[in-house]
Amino acid sequence: MTQAPIIATGLSRYFGSGENAIKAVDGVDLEVHQGEIFGFLGPNGAGKSTTVRMLTTLLKPTAGTAFVAGYDVVKDADKVRRSIGVALQDAAIDPLMTGRELLTLQAVLYGLSKVAGKNRGEELLERVGLTAAADRRVGTYSGGMRRRLDLALSLVHEPTVLFLDEPTTGLDPMSRLTLWEEVKRLNAGGTTVLLTTQYLEEADQLADRIAIIDHGHIVRQGAPRELKAMVGSPTLSISVASNETDEARAILARFGDLRPTSEGTLGVGLAQGAEDVASVIRALDEAGLKVRHLELNEPSLDDVFAEATGYRLEGADAANKPVETEAEPETKKSRRGRK
Amino acid sequence: MSIAIADPKMMTSSSSGRSLFRHTFALTRRSVVGRLRQPAVLAPAFIFPLFFAALGSASFNKLASDPYFTDNIATSFMNYAVAGAILQGVLFGSTSAAGDLATDIEQGFFERLLASPISRTAIVLGRLVGSMVIAVVQVVVFLSIFLVAGARVESGPIGYLGLIGGSALLALAMSGLMAGLAIKSGSPEVVQGAFPLVFVLMFLSSAFFPRHYMKGWYRTVADWNPLSHIVEGMQGFMNHDLSASQFAKSWLLPLVIAIISIAFALRALSNRLAAS
Amino acid sequence: MSNLTAEQPMNVRTISDGARPLEVVAILVKRSMIRVRRMPSAFIPSLIMPVFQLIAFSGAFGFAVTSLGIKNALDWYVPLNAMQGASFGALGVSFGLINDMQTGFFDRILMAPTQRWVTVISSLVAAVVRCIVPITLVVLIGYLGGMNTPGGPMAIVCVAIASVAIAVVAAGFALGLTFRMRNLGAATLTQFAIFFTIFLSTSQVPLSAMSGWLRGVARINPMTNILRFARQGFLGDVTWEQSWGGIIAMAALLILTFIYAMTGIKKFDQ
Repeated sequence: MTQAPIIATGLSRYFGSGENAIKAVDGVDLEVHQGEIFGFLGPNGAGKSTTVRMLTTLLKPTAGTAFVAGYDVVKDADKVRRSIGVALQDAAIDPLMTGRELLTLQAVLYGLSKVAGKNRGEELLERVGLTAAADRRVGTYSGGMRRRLDLALSLVHEPTVLFLDEPTTGLDPMSRLTLWEEVKRLNAGGTTVLLTTQYLEEADQLADRIAIIDHGHIVRQGAPRELKAMVGSPTLSISVASNETDEARAILARFGDLRPTSEGTLGVGLAQGAEDVASVIRALDEAGLKVRHLELNEPSLDDVFAEATGYRLEGADAANKPVETEAEPETKKSRRGRK
Repeated sequence: MSIAIADPKMMTSSSSGRSLFRHTFALTRRSVVGRLRQPAVLAPAFIFPLFFAALGSASFNKLASDPYFTDNIATSFMNYAVAGAILQGVLFGSTSAAGDLATDIEQGFFERLLASPISRTAIVLGRLVGSMVIAVVQVVVFLSIFLVAGARVESGPIGYLGLIGGSALLALAMSGLMAGLAIKSGSPEVVQGAFPLVFVLMFLSSAFFPRHYMKGWYRTVADWNPLSHIVEGMQGFMNHDLSASQFAKSWLLPLVIAIISIAFALRALSNRLAAS
Repeated sequence: MSNLTAEQPMNVRTISDGARPLEVVAILVKRSMIRVRRMPSAFIPSLIMPVFQLIAFSGAFGFAVTSLGIKNALDWYVPLNAMQGASFGALGVSFGLINDMQTGFFDRILMAPTQRWVTVISSLVAAVVRCIVPITLVVLIGYLGGMNTPGGPMAIVCVAIASVAIAVVAAGFALGLTFRMRNLGAATLTQFAIFFTIFLSTSQVPLSAMSGWLRGVARINPMTNILRFARQGFLGDVTWEQSWGGIIAMAALLILTFIYAMTGIKKFDQ
């Protein structure tokens, strides 16, 4: 292996020109290693899809270079296209055609022979569990089935690099798990995967390394474990009566730096770690403040994200949902998602 | 779109004749403004009739050498084509206005109107009167253009008014029919689908070419097609001295159709209300 | 995934050598036929419209045409409406393309290792296949209505050539416009363009019967030459004199619209 399957240097894409140009992607440097799952994390409009469209030859970069599977995405677009598989956002499939017809079409588009295409199609249908539905029109498929078909289509020509743009957005939890399993299985077979997602949990579950993109810039890059360690201290979040908030905030600040948490709660990164919890409670108690709710969270990708961008991904994780009565099950659910 | 509904005057709960008038007026204004705000939709109702008239005049002017044509129908093909253009403009305008109504229904604005204290009659009348207003504007614009191009209203100023009045009544009849269709179906696609039908009816009439020259079954259909007689009434205003038959054809006939079509629209409305 | 071959420097499993153009054209045309079959509501108007216009034109304007010495109005209108029917396929091309852009399916085609001209040719061939039924239908109705073909079989050949050429030209124009506009406005504009090009020619009466502005416009409209080519066998013998103008017009329009379509699709690579 002489070269990483995906290398981007200073990759930028502006829409419009002059002073009003929108810098959708602005100087992105990426290196995805052979055989890893790379998670590209960011909210809607952060520049994830634009980056993927450049890496998959659908969009020309305004500046910078990118090599995919060893080929320049601009100069050698055709070779890049032969080497990559892409499942774009919202499963780009024609609802009037059947799954099998689409697989045949895809095989021809990638130059497979008739026999090879047919065999490959059957194999993939079986693999994604769509054999029974293969002759039904795609319009009748569920969201999960469409994504699975989309994945199968992207694999027809056995690509070495696979791009999945928000593969599970809008899917129910079961379908999401099925898709995750499939991605892991592919990766175990040696395929390098770049996947974009706005779900922290997805990135945490699947990705060997992640990059967080915000406003067209990459703000963090690394293995989830390393990134969490960098955030360091655990976060203690508490809620008190609203007229006592300011006082409580002042007390918390003595134990570490304040962190953004969900509405109505206060958060602090405990400088001394979890053992400070007792001291915090004591200090609050001495001040006569009543703690209504308390939660201690080890650093999560959510915290990494918050620390890197200054805000939290909406609905990305249970930790930033309103707590109160539902706090228990929500917390459990989010924990289960973490490693 | 919710222009008129925001007008607090409309929200009064009185159901007197005065408020019916006021509501109808407000809804008429909404309907007219709504039309004028969609120039892309309105433009074809102006451009195509004029284009066809210009095309016909340039293509069929040789017909003016046929003695029957000059003696009984028109002095020039352009003078003949004016009425057809008016007919076409009014029919297309009314049909596409009904498309707006169907869109209102589909998007739920209609439900909001029905839930408000505005009288149901006003809701339908507002649309129809709106179509009449647009039709009058259209006819005045068309006639001005044709007069500049050299056409003449042979029946004089009363004939000019006769054309305008006839067009308004035709707009009433057509939009009543199309509004009924819109209310019945609640789908803009169905109303759009009526466009080609209107086109067929026009071709099977004296609108584009005199029925006198048609043959066989085609002629029979054109003879029975009410549009033939309406447009011939208008052609009368354009090409002959004033006569009662011109009013009978281009005023009375649309009026009768209007009564039937408004009854159809109101029935469709009460069916929709009963169903909901 | 089975065989990861690390011995290749770039680590590309080269099972894809790029697509074979003919096979790609065949399968994309097949796809277009599948779509027509499964969504006939989008196709049926392109059958009804030319037939209706044939009946309407010859019924309404029959006198104007026959008074100019043409035996049967159908002789005049069958070629026109065959070509018009063929041109409607362009709308199907435009709608289909916009639909593909909206579903993202078009990205799939752009990302495949196929050349751009193959994609364009596929759409044009699909338009040709689509126009076969409307052309046949119009000619058949003309035949049943007693149209004359003094030019013999060549009459039909000329209509077929002209109609197919118009189908390709209209589709090429629709592609070029849709690639650039990328919304439904492209289909509307295509419709207008076809409409005005056809009507501002000798569609209704010969040049000699026209007056004023129309005569000037129709004289320079290439459609007039193509119509002369298409109609000749219905009005008399097929001759070279009446053919060459149409052939040049068709060739020029084919080249221009193909270039327009190609430069349009290339805009996706910028």
